[in-house]
Order: sequence, then C-alpha cells, then structure tokens
Amino acid sequence: MPKVKAKRHSVSLDMTAMCDVAFLLLTFFMLTAKFRPEEAVTITPPSSISEKALNTKDGMLTISVSNEGGVYLATDDQMAREFMLERMANRYGVALTGEMKKNYMSSEIVGYPAGAMRQVLNMKPSEAKDKGFIKGIPIDSSNNELSYWVGYAKLSNPELKVAIKGDQNSSYKVFADIIGTLQAQNINIFQLITAPENKPK
Amino acid sequence: MAEIDSSGGGKKGGKKRSKKMSTKIDMTPMVDLGFLLITFFMLTTTLAKPVTMQLNMPDKTDTKETSPVKLSETLTVCPDENKVYYYQGIPTEAGTKLEVTDYSDTGIRKVIADLKAKVGSNFTLVIKPTKKAKYRNMVDMLDECAITNNKRYALLEIDPDTEALIKRSGK
Repeated sequence: MPKVKAKRHSVSLDMTAMCDVAFLLLTFFMLTAKFRPEEAVTITPPSSISEKALNTKDGMLTISVSNEGGVYLATDDQMAREFMLERMANRYGVALTGEMKKNYMSSEIVGYPAGAMRQVLNMKPSEAKDKGFIKGIPIDSSNNELSYWVGYAKLSNPELKVAIKGDQNSSYKVFADIIGTLQAQNINIFQLITAPENKPK
Repeated sequence: MAEIDSSGGGKKGGKKRSKKMSTKIDMTPMVDLGFLLITFFMLTTTLAKPVTMQLNMPDKTDTKETSPVKLSETLTVCPDENKVYYYQGIPTEAGTKLEVTDYSDTGIRKVIADLKAKVGSNFTLVIKPTKKAKYRNMVDMLDECAITNNKRYALLEIDPDTEALIKRSGK
C-alpha cells in the first residue's frame, strides 16, 4: 500500500506586501513627526497631574529657567520677536546690522545680558552657545532686563500668553523673582509647563 | 585554431541566450530593516507632550477686594527641598505647633485632605516655600491642591516669623 505523502509546501512566503507596510509606516511616522527646536539649555520640567494641553493659538511667551537658575526667553510670535530686538537694541544703543538680525531670528531663545548683545548677535547661535555666552537674562532688582523684554513683547502683541518652563531642580527663588517681575507689569496669569503624570487613585 | 566547429549550426545560428533570472528577490532582510527603523524611531521619540497648569496670582494693583479668612480654616505649608513643614495659626505665638512631613501620598496629601474634610469648603491653603525650596516643590504643592480638589490657595513669600518658627522647632 503506497503511503499518502503530504504535499510539501514551500516555507518561504512573499514578503513584498509586508515590506510595503513597513516602509509605508516608516514614511508616515517620519513625515508626520515635528522637529523639536534645538534648545540652548536642557530643561526637565517637574511632573504634575494636570491634563490641560498647551494652547499655543494666540502666541506664547515662554520663560525658561535652567537648572543653574539662568533665565531665557522665547516666543513663537515672529513679529513680537523682531519688535523686541529693535526696541532693546534701541534702548541699549546697539546698532543693528542685517547679519545680527539674521542671527537673532535663527536662534530660538534670548538668553544674554543686553551688554553682550552686540557680541552674541555677531556670531552664529551655535557658536555663541559653544563659547558660553548664553548665560541668561539678568533679573536682579538693580538690572531687570527681563522686565523690558517682556514689556516690549506684550506691547507688540498683548494677547501673548506667558508660560513658565522651569527645571525641576531650579531654585524657587528664581521663580519668585520672575513672578514678581511679571506681576509688576500686571501679568497675573501664568501657564506652568509640566510633564504629565498619572493621577493617583 | 585547429578546432573545427562540428556543431553544424545546431543552435539556431549560435545566438547566445542570457540565462533567465528570476525577478523575485528575497524581501525578508528589507522587511527586517523596515521594522527595525520603525521600532527605533518609535522608541526614541518623546511621547510625553507638555501639559500646563494655570497659576492665577492676585492683582497687586487691586487692593479693595479682600476676603477675610479664619485662622482655624487655614493651613500654612512651607515646602522645603525634601520635606514639608506645616502649621496652623500665627507663627509668633508660642502655642503654634510646627509639624513636618514628606511629599508622599500618606504625607502632606493626607494632612491636607483630613483638614479639608474637617473644615469644609472654606479651607484655605497658604503656601510659603522656604529659601531652599526647589521649583519642583512648589509645583508639587500646587499639584496636591489639584489632587485634593482644593481651589482656595495662596502662594506667598516666606516671612521672617515663619523662618524663625522653623528654626525654633529644630526639625
């Protein structure tokens, strides 16, 4: 009696479809991903249970506080950014050149005393960072430059919302100084940027 | 040279035919690569989108709108770097007892929740971060307010009396 032989199937299967799917997904994720703007300072915000997403519709004025207590300013409103620079340069008697403006607009943040403005803006943002010029905006009571920057930004766009992004290990004192500076200008609503955390229970 | 072609045109004029190659190639390594890249990008991207918590501070220019708060309905907390001081009452009085606890859910959260349950809706939390407090500690305290559903809180600067009380208690 002849044995019934099971038909031998080939183990290799057509991978083309799977390959298509893999690369489709890859392209999709790569195209939909947004680039994170390069930060001049690394900031790890504290976590909170808040679930409110950041609303950036009306423009944001973000004040960042680094671990060492340096204060940096950034805004996504390009008009306000340019306005701020012109007014600040005017105030501190810095003659702006096209090159300086270009360097200013290509860097994300403002983080140097006005006295160093000419020097910083005459080099590329990455170069200024490497040379250690991005130390923060002075907020001492004797020389509160943050107050001018914020004042001019609000003058250009009164709708700007103020967000504070502090490093979790930055000192509370810096935060209190910033709040004090802003409250003196009658800015009383702040958005504290935090990382999400699970709600207990 | 000396060879004679003896095939005699056996294969239609000696035309050379290229070997027929299969058009199918093995896609497995390409799939591997594709999924490897997907996994890599998915794992390296930061998923956590930032969230915000809104902080409303009182208007300094507006002085007429004040609401009286009873001392018995108030708890003052002084977040420090790794611990939280809390007391009820006036810091200069001898009877004011300063307690100390931590940031865990059985620590300050329980204190706030217990007192809030006792006092009711008029409960007010006064937050006075110490000089050593980090930004994180303040956010933690605001977070505790959100967790205990406490809408009445005030963020104040620490005053010398409170500092003296902390020093006196030696905790």
